[in-house]
Amino acid sequence: MGTFKTENPGNQPVWVNTSNCKACDICVSVCPSGVLGMRYEVTSTLGAMISVEHPEACIGCSECELSCPDFAIYVADKKDYKFAKLTDESKERQAAIIANNYMSLSEQGVK
Amino acid sequence: MAFNYDKYLRVNKMPTLWCWGCGDGVILKATIRAIEKMGWDMDNVCVISGIGCSGRFSSYINCNTIHTTHGRTIAYATGVKLANPGVNVIVVAGDGDSLAIGGNHTIHGCRRNIDLNFILINNFIYGLTNSQISPTTPQGMWCVSAQNGNIDPTFNACNLAIGAGASFVARESMIDPKKLEKILVKGFSHKGFSFIEVNSNCHINLGRKNKMNSAMENLAWIDSITIPVKKWEALSPEEQLNKLPTGVLREVEQAEYCDLYDMVIAAAQGKRGKITQDDFAKKI
Repeated sequence: MGTFKTENPGNQPVWVNTSNCKACDICVSVCPSGVLGMRYEVTSTLGAMISVEHPEACIGCSECELSCPDFAIYVADKKDYKFAKLTDESKERQAAIIANNYMSLSEQGVK
Repeated sequence: MAFNYDKYLRVNKMPTLWCWGCGDGVILKATIRAIEKMGWDMDNVCVISGIGCSGRFSSYINCNTIHTTHGRTIAYATGVKLANPGVNVIVVAGDGDSLAIGGNHTIHGCRRNIDLNFILINNFIYGLTNSQISPTTPQGMWCVSAQNGNIDPTFNACNLAIGAGASFVARESMIDPKKLEKILVKGFSHKGFSFIEVNSNCHINLGRKNKMNSAMENLAWIDSITIPVKKWEALSPEEQLNKLPTGVLREVEQAEYCDLYDMVIAAAQGKRGKITQDDFAKKI
């Protein structure tokens, strides 16, 4: 039985509910600033699971939350959290994550 | 605190039964957010869905729901709306459900211009039953029921709705959920039949067999075939052939069926005379 975790777990810009996530990679593909990435997870159906790798780079665009089909990712309200600005470094990281087949850059091997 | 979905969903049914990356979930989320924007009371909302992957819609949303027989969503919804005109009725159907088996009900719902909010989830395939050709499957795609490639010409659902007389017709894809939410709010606030076609992905049963292995590749394909209606109008007829215009395609004020039905009720109660041709501006 899955539940929603719409409460902020503690001053986070973006947080996930891993019991709802099916590892479709859509949130990673729509993020403009390389905040998200997939990590390997043996218990998941597709062998991967979402993880928030760089919360400090989140710009609060909410694209990941709106594009998630499974209600598994949530973004804080703009009035509750001070989001970062989009930088070249985060754009490059996002391009590298997509080139790495949506896997987090700290993960080794091919999905 | 993020958007509170608990209020609108049957939490014990989560996670959804849809495949990973299925557009239906995005459309469900956009619908919930549009309902929140409209400020509707969930006790006063009725969601009606048919058979197919889109049929699961009514299982997850926490309001009055009916999961009906294949293709008969509009027939049930017409009954609900006429019996209880104050209810906000949302009808959700897939492309096979509403254009193939339920095509007849769809055009007559449009013709009557009854105040329903009709969301057509078009994923270009019969996804639930593992990839048979639907009325919107593009020609040349491979499906299990067209092993040598599909030769059937496709429906343009929005043109069908405009021809049948729906007073609000719009098309949007689930690639841009913010735009989709705005279109849904526009459709929900329109009085009359709101026909909203939402292009969605089925990378499992359409994509995998047609060189679109992941949700992202299928979404990129949808992105390549859709174009905002303003830009579409500027294209040459040859270019228009392979692009679907998105946005509001028709929005007119038209007599609504429940209002007309009030005339029948008044006539039956003897509060007015019989309805004659003089009651209508359009006589043929």
